[in-house]
Amino acid sequence: MAIHFQNVTYRYPGSDAGVFDVDLEIADGELLVVIGPSGSGKTTLLKLLAGFLEADSGRILVDGRNLAGLPPHRRDLGIVFQSYALFQHMTAAQNVAYPLKVRGVSRQQRLDQAGLALNRVGLAGFADRMPVSLSGGQQQRVALARALVFSPRALLLDEPLSALDAFRRVEMRDEIVRVQRDAAIATLHVTHDLEEAMSIGDRVAVMHGGRMLQVAPPQVLYDAPVDRTVASFVGKANMWDATIRDAGHISTAFGMLSCDTAGWPSGSAVIALVRPERIVPLASPDDARADGAVLTGELRRDRFAGPIRRFEMALSETVLLGESGGYRGDIAAVQIPANAIRLLSPSTFNPSGV
Amino acid sequence: MAVLTYLYLIYLAAPILLLVVGSFGEVWANSLLPTGATLHWYAALLDDSSLLRAFRTSLMVVSVTSVIDVLVGLPAAYALHTQSRRSVRFAGRLVSLLPVAVPELTLAFGFILLFSTDALPWLGSSPLLIAGHVVLTLPYLLNTLLADMETLRLADLEAVAGSLGAGFASRFFDIVVPTLRHSVLSGLITVAALSIGEFQLSNLVSGFLNRTYPTFLLQAFYGATGFACAATVVLLSLAVAAAAIGAFVARAGGAARG
Repeated sequence: MAIHFQNVTYRYPGSDAGVFDVDLEIADGELLVVIGPSGSGKTTLLKLLAGFLEADSGRILVDGRNLAGLPPHRRDLGIVFQSYALFQHMTAAQNVAYPLKVRGVSRQQRLDQAGLALNRVGLAGFADRMPVSLSGGQQQRVALARALVFSPRALLLDEPLSALDAFRRVEMRDEIVRVQRDAAIATLHVTHDLEEAMSIGDRVAVMHGGRMLQVAPPQVLYDAPVDRTVASFVGKANMWDATIRDAGHISTAFGMLSCDTAGWPSGSAVIALVRPERIVPLASPDDARADGAVLTGELRRDRFAGPIRRFEMALSETVLLGESGGYRGDIAAVQIPANAIRLLSPSTFNPSGV
Repeated sequence: MAVLTYLYLIYLAAPILLLVVGSFGEVWANSLLPTGATLHWYAALLDDSSLLRAFRTSLMVVSVTSVIDVLVGLPAAYALHTQSRRSVRFAGRLVSLLPVAVPELTLAFGFILLFSTDALPWLGSSPLLIAGHVVLTLPYLLNTLLADMETLRLADLEAVAGSLGAGFASRFFDIVVPTLRHSVLSGLITVAALSIGEFQLSNLVSGFLNRTYPTFLLQAFYGATGFACAATVVLLSLAVAAAAIGAFVARAGGAARG
């Protein structure tokens, strides 16, 4: 493992905020995205790895070496900040060459390497430009080249895209993935942008209240979240209190649903999770396909938003949230396919009493 | 509104214009404007040894004050900026503001009391004069630097430089100093303008042989009016030059930080 957090705890002096008992591994060449609301501890995790903060307990290993007590400049990690943090009095090439300069590489050699690094991020011909004459996206590319030019042991990205406008953000997102793959370097990417996290992460780690709730590939996180918090954090979700009735059936406030109940004894309380786009809208209950409960209710809301159509259907006390891509007909009933239902344990994690 | 503004401008400019006119006037006594025209007073300035000495003293005091301010102010501002504890930073700011809040006269009397004792008999010496100027001007440099460190995100720059492998000395001399060069310069312009025009403290703590230029001016106004006007115009020109350079540096700095 390139990066290994072992039981790491850090509490900000005089507060309850921090990170608690975090275990996290990042493999060589892996792009791991840490996501969470502000105050969840994701940036703290990055600062602990970078050496800007020192853990109260636990260990952080990079390539098996304990980083405890090492100052940031001895950790050999490339970092890209949200604010780019380019040195304004240096050209793009001098910025990129700086880590080589402090390592004692000769002037010609470091400028050559800086030139190559700038080429790799698509900035050939910008070597002599001052940062102030570069666009936000270009500045971020320089920052990325600078963080990689000295072949660090890992790359740390602290919300690198949040200062860019929406269009540049998507472009730069792909650029980061390309450069990261190119360098095949273990990468910790911190963001609060869900789409960014899901689309580029090899794995995504969800943090909340300073604790690591789940670390998994994006699809697993979305389809099989460990609890209510993760489920609602990584996307829209219908979550209903339910009870296991017998093998293959659960009962809810609005009737019986069939789904896979393997592993849950009869009578146990669960939460049934259904993503809105898995709910199938029907013009009439007769249109139902073989598998899954068909429910009829009152259509409360029906909003067409181009690629997506969102609707809400009231089933007695429960309001069901649905989304459809191409369906244009009336909605008189819905079907919930058995494989769209995921059962979660109702014991939700309750971080620091919130 | 416009009329008021113009009236105010005239009110501001009138004494200055009078000084300029007076410096070229031959005789000026008990009339609103002087009579006759002459360059005599400017020639007399160049001949006056005590004026030249005062001028040299002022230049020396300004230069040494500026150097000391940078040597003390830059590390102090840096230490305050990197100190993460809010309370410490607040206390530092407060201390740096105190000399601004305390009247110069009070400071000067304190100096007189303290440095006319047998233990510290330094009243009237140039080092003490310079020390006074440093106390008075340092807060302005400090505040300029602290404000710019905030806007230039110096903490981020340092953190990133650290992560790139730069130790403390490299960070300070490769990043902190060059990043702040415009701030130091524009802060120093303020320092120079304050130091060159400073009267209250200099008048009380300087000795006979190291009077500063403004102190000399007061004496000059007891003599020929034209001479005093000419000497004042010289000081005024210096102040205007300092302000112009200051504006220029501030613009260059603004452009550099985009």
